[in-house]
Amino acid sequence: MSIIELDAVHKRFGSLVVLDGVSLAIPERETTAIVGPSGTGKSVLLKHIVGLISPDAGRVLCFGTDMGTAGEAALYAVRRRMGMLFQDGALFDSLTVGENVAFPLDHHRPDLSPTARRAIVEDTLAKVGMAGTAPRAPSSLSGGQRKRVGLARAIVSRPEIVLFDEPNSGLDPLTSDAIDALILDMKRELGVTFVVITHDIVGAVRVADHIAMLSGGRLAAWGRTAEVLSSPEPVVRAFFSRNLVLPDAPGGSARLPIVRLV
Amino acid sequence: MGPIRRSLETRLAALGRVGAFAGALAWRACTPPLFGRAILGHVWSTSTRCLPPVVAVTLPFGMVVSLQGLEIFRVFGAERLLSSLVSVTVLRELAPVMASVLIAAQGGSSCAAELGAMRIKEELDATAVMAVDPLRVHVLPRLLGLALSCPLLYVAGSSAGLFGGWFTAVLVKNEPSGIFLQSLWALTTPLDIWAGVVKTVVFGLCIGLVASYHGTFATGGAAGVGRAVNDTVVHSVLVFISANYLLTSAFFGATT
Amino acid sequence: MSRPAEPLLLRTLGGVGHYALFVAAFVRAVRRHGVPWGAVLGESYRIGVLSLPVLLVIAGFVGTNLALQGHAAFTPLGGQRLVGLFVSLAGVRELAPIIAASMVAAKAGTEMASQLGVMRIREQIDALEVMAVNPLAFLVAPRLVGILLVLPALTVLSIFVMVASGYAVAVHQLGLNGHVFLEFATTGIRPVDFLYGQIKGMIFGALICTVSCWYGYFCESGPEGVGRATNRAVVTSAVLCVALNYFLSEIMYGR
Repeated sequence: MSIIELDAVHKRFGSLVVLDGVSLAIPERETTAIVGPSGTGKSVLLKHIVGLISPDAGRVLCFGTDMGTAGEAALYAVRRRMGMLFQDGALFDSLTVGENVAFPLDHHRPDLSPTARRAIVEDTLAKVGMAGTAPRAPSSLSGGQRKRVGLARAIVSRPEIVLFDEPNSGLDPLTSDAIDALILDMKRELGVTFVVITHDIVGAVRVADHIAMLSGGRLAAWGRTAEVLSSPEPVVRAFFSRNLVLPDAPGGSARLPIVRLV
Repeated sequence: MGPIRRSLETRLAALGRVGAFAGALAWRACTPPLFGRAILGHVWSTSTRCLPPVVAVTLPFGMVVSLQGLEIFRVFGAERLLSSLVSVTVLRELAPVMASVLIAAQGGSSCAAELGAMRIKEELDATAVMAVDPLRVHVLPRLLGLALSCPLLYVAGSSAGLFGGWFTAVLVKNEPSGIFLQSLWALTTPLDIWAGVVKTVVFGLCIGLVASYHGTFATGGAAGVGRAVNDTVVHSVLVFISANYLLTSAFFGATT
Repeated sequence: MSRPAEPLLLRTLGGVGHYALFVAAFVRAVRRHGVPWGAVLGESYRIGVLSLPVLLVIAGFVGTNLALQGHAAFTPLGGQRLVGLFVSLAGVRELAPIIAASMVAAKAGTEMASQLGVMRIREQIDALEVMAVNPLAFLVAPRLVGILLVLPALTVLSIFVMVASGYAVAVHQLGLNGHVFLEFATTGIRPVDFLYGQIKGMIFGALICTVSCWYGYFCESGPEGVGRATNRAVVTSAVLCVALNYFLSEIMYGR
């Protein structure tokens, strides 16, 4: 069952073809990572899924709604069921951490009392390891902390889909590992559909049940993680072998090297 | 008392820094090497970039002076005074001030934005590290470019304003063109034009100094550049508006 | 909505069209989602507080120069008593609305452009969209209402400051008779002139706000993008206000 479906999506910016007929069905309640070399349109793909961009050709369906052509009401109805972590958190500087996390609740759950909202916010912040930071200003947080708060805001209204735009970008290796661990925790705890756009292969392999690889605007690989890693395709092997030691024979499993090459 | 004194000290320190900056630039303006080609390049680019907005502002203003002037003068039957009013207003105040406001908004903020982005991206530092003087190469040409474009744009703005006045009076309000043009110079002398040029050179230096200062000392990323631009427009207008009062008093303020 | 990039005339026309679509989308958004009234007070305060000090100083110096130039121009014609009339007429009918608009454009307008620009490049506007909150209603509407409330008030304030500083110069620097000055200053003005000034102020305010927000909303990335957006916001708003001013004056004062 797939709640996100891309059907022969084409997108170009000027003369640059970013997506060249990408078809993908993202399975429900599992974690899918979309990887690929920089600039191959991973972020563009994500923006199609949330309806910020419309495809030139093809369709993007989310909960059965065509995100490219839907009117505002239908679009917002879908968006209320998803949460997204942006690259630098995209927190509002004029609000405190607590107000940022409460934002979706303030706008979409007027039925909740302020006390109930505050409790949920505190609870969610604790979940992402940012307990007690509600009164702080976003500008006082480090990059890793901003991502945690951004994640808290994304999950606070218990969405059915959570999207991650390069969750490890701009982080040092230790913090990056911590974010991977956080994503795994949330995956276990929430059990909803995760879509992770990333260039960090090690992280992708750690968290994802399925991997899609974009290369040259097309889908170079798609399947369960183990299948993709043991794919014989040279493009795929070349991409993944940079940070992983791939199995020699199909069906084998990949080993992570002791030293992480960046 | 504490915070007031600290705020005063910060402002005095800032003023001191501006003064030191101005002095450093003045010294470099008077000693070789002067990158003449860069300066001329900036004069050209600033003038061409600011010309459309300056004309777009002085033209309607000239038209409005004609419009309002006619409304009043027709009551007294003094229509022939109209063009004198237009030329006096345009040449002595309107063109210098409005042209400078737009130059501050367009040229000054571009200058601040460019220098600010250079500061943020460490290009000014990189220049210094290569043993080249960033003030001479990046800052001074832009400052002088702004200062020297101002009088040029004053001339252009005045022409546009006078044209606007004529246009409204003659083509819209059906005043006889001959009388309009005849009385145009009745009250104005070449001295007025020189006064305008002096004013705009002074204004241009003010804008240039403020813009280069805010751009060169910008901090804090993209938001900092935005701040520098914002501050430039406002501070340069404040500075030259007060300078305008002093200059106008000096040129036109003879007490009876 | 993405921005076109072609030769200047095409770009200007395209820009006008793009801006018109933005305004239309804004109107739709407000009709559907309403105005966040809680934010309006904060915005009004900020716009007013930002623009007020600068405006008072500028209005002051404009008043002084009106008096100086009026005196210099009318004395050869034997009309120095008319200085008060000149200051108040020019001030009330034309200069107060335009100066108030220019200063608000310079202060509050650039603030709007740079705030929205920074939000755009930090993906905060996208975040609003993805959280199903309409950014036009949430960000632009309070600013527009704020400026509509504040600009007419600032216009009236500038009038008083201009006449006051004109008076100061006339009496203390030029040695004119204060009573005559004020007498001529008040006879020239009709109540409807104040009304026209307010109307001008509101129209200019709407223009400044929508234009500045438009530039910030579609800001290009990087520090240059924000700088460019603020730059263009203030120039375009100022030019549009001055151009529009002629047509408004023609309608209001032309016979």
